[in-house]
Amino acid sequence: MSRESTTPPEGYDVQRENMLDFKVDDQFQQIVETDQKNFILTTIDEVFNWARLSSIWPVTFGLACCAIEMMAASATRYDIDRFGAGAFRPTPRQADLMIVSGTVTAKMARRLKLIYDQMPEPKWVMAMGSCAIGGGPYFKYGYHVVKGVDLLVPVDVYVPGCPPRPEVMLEGLMRLQDKIRGRKGPFKAPKWVQDYAKKIPYRK
Amino acid sequence: MEQKAIYELLAQKLGPEALSFHDEGIEPYAEVTPGRIHAAAQFLRDDERLAFKQLMCLTGIDWDGYDESGKGKSVAILGYTDEGRAETSDRVAEGDFGVVYSLYSHQHGHKFTMRVRVPRTLAEVPTVSDVWATANWHEREVWDLVGIRFTGHPNLCRMLMEDHWVGHPLRKDYEMPEEWDGAPLGGRPLNVNPFPKAEDPTPGGPPTGGDSPAEG
Repeated sequence: MSRESTTPPEGYDVQRENMLDFKVDDQFQQIVETDQKNFILTTIDEVFNWARLSSIWPVTFGLACCAIEMMAASATRYDIDRFGAGAFRPTPRQADLMIVSGTVTAKMARRLKLIYDQMPEPKWVMAMGSCAIGGGPYFKYGYHVVKGVDLLVPVDVYVPGCPPRPEVMLEGLMRLQDKIRGRKGPFKAPKWVQDYAKKIPYRK
Repeated sequence: MEQKAIYELLAQKLGPEALSFHDEGIEPYAEVTPGRIHAAAQFLRDDERLAFKQLMCLTGIDWDGYDESGKGKSVAILGYTDEGRAETSDRVAEGDFGVVYSLYSHQHGHKFTMRVRVPRTLAEVPTVSDVWATANWHEREVWDLVGIRFTGHPNLCRMLMEDHWVGHPLRKDYEMPEEWDGAPLGGRPLNVNPFPKAEDPTPGGPPTGGDSPAEG
């Protein structure tokens, strides 16, 4: 088999052929042909969502044994940095994601709500493990355990397990990225989230 | 030194009416009257033949449901129902309280166990925190969770629960709270799916606002 030549035939303008689908005005023609610059077309939403999902910064917040798995996920073997979520911030004011990794006790509930309120919008919450989802093994006799962190703050992703393995946490992170990718409109929480947050019984 | 021999030494010091020896269980122990526990602790630590310099553990016990010899049936502990509500009961607990002291001597490599029994209506035991400093936190924890008051303790305040918590949670008749400081401690019902349909994002029903793109 003869290999096809990669050089275009005589008199064939590649750039002009590639641009045939568009109605190119003079300014674009100048950008492409004279200035030799590339450009892409997209929407603001897509660019913002892409930037957000590629750099989800979690707040450093570990509560129980799930936090050990979260640390394992951020170490070299599983490497949460592959998804851009490895920058654990020591202050909630620089964070986008709160991974509730462990048992939320009555003593911790007030602190957890405070940390959540300090995070700037847009923000997301991942309930990691049985305790954060619904109380877990402390449902029956846990006199000190909040039976699910979604009774305190709105939760975006539930990651089941007791504790979940790092792969499962990364899967939850990818599902959260899918959720961010599909986001539209103004850069604030949707109305149903705001309404739901008002209905949550935690009020001092 | 054998535990029986340690008991003999202690009985010589305190007098036989202050304590009794029990070796019918897995681990032999000496039962001491609450009034002499401090003198016993002082003697066990300071005597050269014993030298119990370490208090390994200090444990509080609620014996409600058991008789004097430790036999009996454990009563049902109150918890939360499947509907997420706190259970209540009219039963009044009347069993005794106890404190167990587990001692170890690094010098001689022997162990000893002491036990104190106090009635539920007068749950007071003299502190040993001036004998072993580690008993300070142990006694605070026992006070926090079981509610045995240690007289003479320098700082007997709650350790694990919050300072204004009501009740002592590891007592057999403790009723769990529905909420604490606004944080709900009861749960949602176990047999009800909070997310009935996959396409419905809100637990309380579909969104009714005008935010969805279909409604403009």
